[in-house]
Amino acid sequence: MDAIRVNHLSFSYDGQTDVIKNVSFSIPKGSYTTIIGHNGSGKSTIAKLLIGLMEPKTGTIEILGKELNEASLYELRDHVGIVFQNPDNQFIGSTVADDIAFGLENHCVPQKEMQTIIEESAKKVGMQDYLNSEPTKLSGGQKQRVAIAGILAIEPEIIIFDESTSMLDPQGKASINKQIKALHSQKDRTILSITHDMEEVAQSDFVIVLKDGVVRLTGTPMEIFEHEKELEEMKLDIPFALKISKKLVDENITDKKVCTLDEVVDQLWQLK
Amino acid sequence: MNNIALGRYMPLNSSVHRMDPRAKILILLLLMIAIFIPAGVFGYVAIGLFILFSLMISKLKISYALRAMKPIFWMMIFLLVVNVLVIKTGTPWIQWGWFTVYSDAIYQTLYIVVRLMFMIVLTTILTATTKPLDLTLGIEKLLKPFEKIGVPAHIIAMMISIALRFIPTLIEETQRIMNAQASRGVDFENGGLKEKVFSILSLIVPLFVSSFDRAEQLANAMEARGYDPNKKRTRYKVLKMTGLDIVGMTGSICILGICIFICITKIGM
Repeated sequence: MDAIRVNHLSFSYDGQTDVIKNVSFSIPKGSYTTIIGHNGSGKSTIAKLLIGLMEPKTGTIEILGKELNEASLYELRDHVGIVFQNPDNQFIGSTVADDIAFGLENHCVPQKEMQTIIEESAKKVGMQDYLNSEPTKLSGGQKQRVAIAGILAIEPEIIIFDESTSMLDPQGKASINKQIKALHSQKDRTILSITHDMEEVAQSDFVIVLKDGVVRLTGTPMEIFEHEKELEEMKLDIPFALKISKKLVDENITDKKVCTLDEVVDQLWQLK
Repeated sequence: MNNIALGRYMPLNSSVHRMDPRAKILILLLLMIAIFIPAGVFGYVAIGLFILFSLMISKLKISYALRAMKPIFWMMIFLLVVNVLVIKTGTPWIQWGWFTVYSDAIYQTLYIVVRLMFMIVLTTILTATTKPLDLTLGIEKLLKPFEKIGVPAHIIAMMISIALRFIPTLIEETQRIMNAQASRGVDFENGGLKEKVFSILSLIVPLFVSSFDRAEQLANAMEARGYDPNKKRTRYKVLKMTGLDIVGMTGSICILGICIFICITKIGM
């Protein structure tokens, strides 16, 4: 079963120029999919359409087999959570606990159950010691982890990350990427990540490449990275690990190209 | 900019911090009414002492409250100048050629300044000791009865809460824009009126643009997390009045009573 199915989707901000042009794709349940593309390719617009923040011009979106429309919007939002780019602009509560509670309040979770859920969600992202901290006292990475905890509290089956690491420092970025990977391995959760980070793309199961609102490529990370020239035209690069791996293959040190750093290390370890 | 105290929550462990936000809002309202009653020096002394006591038990530093008044300093000077030029009643105090400063001008300015100072300190105590979401909940609960006549209690409360939550963020943003503009040659300190207007414009325009952008992103985040102002919601925090809340409210009712009594009987005026 597909977690998300997008059929012939088009969208325009001004009613004239389409920024999303007849896009179709499907994301299998439990998969970790990434959407990549240059700035202005329509990645974030797709995320907003998937969560029902904007209405498509034409085409349909199905979430867990149910069509997304005005009638099903609030019901489907129980199944989809989204973490946005700027951690400052999604922190609603005055403390970490208040912020995690915000989604629970909206979903009418009984007050007696909230404290346990808040503590458990904070623990999943390693923020259990910061429940009474204010947003201004947290780093960008910590704020994003709180945003993830807020989403986890309502236990959605699908989580969308809309360039959630783009405003973070390398340490924050690594911590959130680790978190995303951990979330994917838990509970058969579907992850859709919109990103520029090719190291993250290498870790995903499936990749969608957008260019000017059109799906240009789809496939596994390795299949996508084969189109190096096309990616370069879109101002995208292949992961550093793949570059090393290619060189190792060219030098006949290894015989198989891999795209994550862990895989390269494994290959080199086996040589020993 | 980072020194602005008004609207900032100070996480301290005091009895005022633990008070019910509804009680704190009601105390603020009662004292605001008392401030506007012409109760002479005695009335203001009573209010002043109550505020000082509140400030002490809230563990907030007096310097912190004074910092909250910094933004109105120039307004006070402006008021003094206008009053000295306009008010020509009372005893002549200072005579300088054709120009005379009358006692009423000074008294009037002092009254306005003291009132403003009291209001700012009271608001600072409320916002520094109450988390924005608690404040929202307090306002919402107090406005609940008015929902029957169409007052959107929850929407008003949420708007206030978000405004308060974003004060520190916008202060940081202002500082960032000021630094960015200063690095491009904008001088916020020196220059004539025309230069000052242009420099402030170079700050206000990007600040407005980024604020609207932030507002849109926040609205998206709230909506994506299932927020609908017209839908029923449960609450994480449950408010409970304690003995201290009752004592505080009784105290402020007494202050209001004293001010009304002085105003009617004119004792000590």
